[in-house]
Amino acid sequence: MKAIYGLYTHGASAQSAVDRLRAAGVADKDITVLSPEPREDLALSHMHSRTYMWHFACLGGVIGFSAATALAYISETSWPLNVGGLPVVAWWPNLIIMFELTMLGAIVATIITLIVSAGLGVTRRGIYDPEVTSGSILVGVENPPDSSVDAFEQALSAPPGARVKKI
Amino acid sequence: MSTSSPALPASEQVRSDLLRPLLQTSWKFYVLVAFLGAIVVAALAAWVTQMTLGFGISGIRWPVYWGFYVTNFVFWIGISHAGTLISAILRLVNAGWRRPVTRCAEVITAFALIIGAMFPLIHLGRPWLAFWLFPYPSERMIWPNFRSPLVWDFFAINTYLTGSLLFLFLPMLPDFAIVRDRATGMRRRIYGVLALGWRGTPTQWHRLETAMQIMAVAIIPVAVSVHTIVSFDFSMAPVPMWQTTIFGPYFVAGAIFSGIAGLIIAMAILRRVLHLERYLHPVHFQNLGKLMLVMALLWGYFVFNERLVTYYGNGASEMQVFWRTQRLTFAPLYWTMVVCNFVLPLVIMGISRFRTITGCVIASIGVVIGMWLERFLIIVPSLGHKYLPYSFGTYSPQPVEIVITVGTFAAMTLLYVLFAKFVPIISIWELTAVQHPSPALIPPATAEHPLGETHA
Amino acid sequence: MPHRWGMAADLDRCNGCGACVVACAAENNISTVGAEQAALGRAKHWIRVERYWEGEFPDVRLKFRPVMCQQCDNAPCEPVCPTYASHHTDDGLNAQVYNRCIGTRYCANACPYNVRFFDFFNPSWEKPLQLQLNPDVSLREVGVMEKCTFCVQRIKAVTVQVAAEDRELKDGEITPACVQSCAAKALVFGDLNDPESEVSRLSHSPRGSKLLEDLGTLPKVTYLPRDTEA
Repeated sequence: MKAIYGLYTHGASAQSAVDRLRAAGVADKDITVLSPEPREDLALSHMHSRTYMWHFACLGGVIGFSAATALAYISETSWPLNVGGLPVVAWWPNLIIMFELTMLGAIVATIITLIVSAGLGVTRRGIYDPEVTSGSILVGVENPPDSSVDAFEQALSAPPGARVKKI
Repeated sequence: MSTSSPALPASEQVRSDLLRPLLQTSWKFYVLVAFLGAIVVAALAAWVTQMTLGFGISGIRWPVYWGFYVTNFVFWIGISHAGTLISAILRLVNAGWRRPVTRCAEVITAFALIIGAMFPLIHLGRPWLAFWLFPYPSERMIWPNFRSPLVWDFFAINTYLTGSLLFLFLPMLPDFAIVRDRATGMRRRIYGVLALGWRGTPTQWHRLETAMQIMAVAIIPVAVSVHTIVSFDFSMAPVPMWQTTIFGPYFVAGAIFSGIAGLIIAMAILRRVLHLERYLHPVHFQNLGKLMLVMALLWGYFVFNERLVTYYGNGASEMQVFWRTQRLTFAPLYWTMVVCNFVLPLVIMGISRFRTITGCVIASIGVVIGMWLERFLIIVPSLGHKYLPYSFGTYSPQPVEIVITVGTFAAMTLLYVLFAKFVPIISIWELTAVQHPSPALIPPATAEHPLGETHA
Repeated sequence: MPHRWGMAADLDRCNGCGACVVACAAENNISTVGAEQAALGRAKHWIRVERYWEGEFPDVRLKFRPVMCQQCDNAPCEPVCPTYASHHTDDGLNAQVYNRCIGTRYCANACPYNVRFFDFFNPSWEKPLQLQLNPDVSLREVGVMEKCTFCVQRIKAVTVQVAAEDRELKDGEITPACVQSCAAKALVFGDLNDPESEVSRLSHSPRGSKLLEDLGTLPKVTYLPRDTEA
């Protein structure tokens, strides 16, 4: 993989680098930004902030609830024993099981959504530089077209404090 | 609750301070691990002995069929409410001072839950058959009884344990990435796997924070349900002083109460041993101390309610248990509990001059002892005095129970020590993120804070 | 109509001899635990004779009450069991299935009568008691809860025989060990669904009462207390 990227210690410089890349005609989805901590104070953090995670969590909850309802109902009716004069399908106690599995479903769905949508668990792809975890923000472009490498380099090295690397 | 937070060191300083325990090991660590490990091994040996020789080597007897083990179960599940619940609430209200506290708290939850969940196994007559609680279509064609509070426990604790472990693990990902990038060799590979390929793209940060929000919302009702269901183990049985509707909230309040105490003790030790004075400030202890004061008052309120209603109802069997704890056999333990859980925290946490770190720790040790006694006093006096005077009985713990009880405290400490050795015990990225607060999280200016309060 | 087994205990007749306790232990293979364990409270008495003194010294009266599993219709021990070891049978018995029991001891805590006993050790008998074990009753291993069954092995034996002979069950045909051994005939066993049976008659006696009746457990054992001095 070829790539060109700049490392910035200041958020404003990183933001400026992103803006310059945009001006040079790079689409948002092609700009890679890596930061050592969440930078919600910068506009660059809001590039991909649309998520359906809450919806998936609710969906997981619904699945958990249905599973619990089915589990409780089916197992009770398939093994109908009288205990202490309670009904065989006793909904008050079943509500507890239904609640717990609803929550479990929501939690598991959230985790799955996180892993899938944040691209976790896959072997590392794309630009990476260990300096990110030492406090630098990385802004770069993967596989830049040969014709525009110089333009990108210019854009990336323009902000103060920039260190541009090519691989 | 104050949202102001003392100034934190610069990011680079944060990283090197918090990674130091991972990268440097003194001989004291090995001695401590060996010491604690020996106690844990002794406890395991005690359990194996109990299984080999028979349950009779414990002090359990007719009619007191639950003793130290169930006390420990309720106690540790209670301690587990320190972490995830407190941390989830603080995250949701975005209390700035939470940042150095959350992970220490969540770790307590994870380990206390694992230890607490061991006790239903340890106390089983035939622990090798415990898997019969799993709802699976076995060859026996028998499903578990969903009308049994123990099955509710099984579901609640498993949900809570899963949620808490994930809640602890998620914010560790970026920190694992930090360790990965600084480590070499084997360690680099292990942390690389643990970091799940974390890079730090805006998408990853945003999804992580959203996931934490959802988890916080989900985990709070689960935590409340867990201790309510633990209380159901008692309140579902027609036993004097057990069958009461107050047990749910009473147990939840007690759990949070003992949880805060456990958290304060853990934080004080971490601060001293790992030299985290620049991260865990007196204000953290003061804030948690105030929270503990509130819980002490709430605990006192519940106990007063429980006692007054019993006293006024004047039922023959209830009054047997009532006086047994209030004035007779169990009175020394009962009044120790009242002093530890109410008088001590009220005095120490109520007077601001005493609300120092030392003061908080003293009050917390009192609360931990008091809350352990509370669970013991709920279980044993009632079981020993159920209705028919002919069948009154008593209980005294035997060595195997004492060894296992001590062993769980050692196990908790051991797990905590090992965790602090391998994972930054304070979330690094959450601290460095303080310097870049999101504009959305800065509240508007008020008369008191003309510039708007920074949620650092 | 299914049977509904019940018992009546006439406390006016009970002289506290303890024959029922011995007979029960012999019939049901209840293991002995030794003096030391018994002193700790590990003795297992599926039926016990409770002894209470009444009045002020020297004017005291001794009262006996044989207490066994009350086979409650609304049994608190049943729903708390996670594995259905404790459940209700069609003929109204509180069944305890030893093989399903994992030993949470929750049922014994929930039982207001304290008539459930835990096996703290594997069963053993002092010689020569092991020679009189009953082949009709299973042994219980360590970690299992056990209790009075109304001698379910005897109930089954008779009902199977009756069904094979295709006839009606006669009142008094089934006698649990305690009933059989009661010299004073204080204990009566039978079918509560049979209005003609003696146990039915006694359970409707104005003298009759249930143990801890106000807990709402609906026990099937009726106690007929001594007539207090008029």
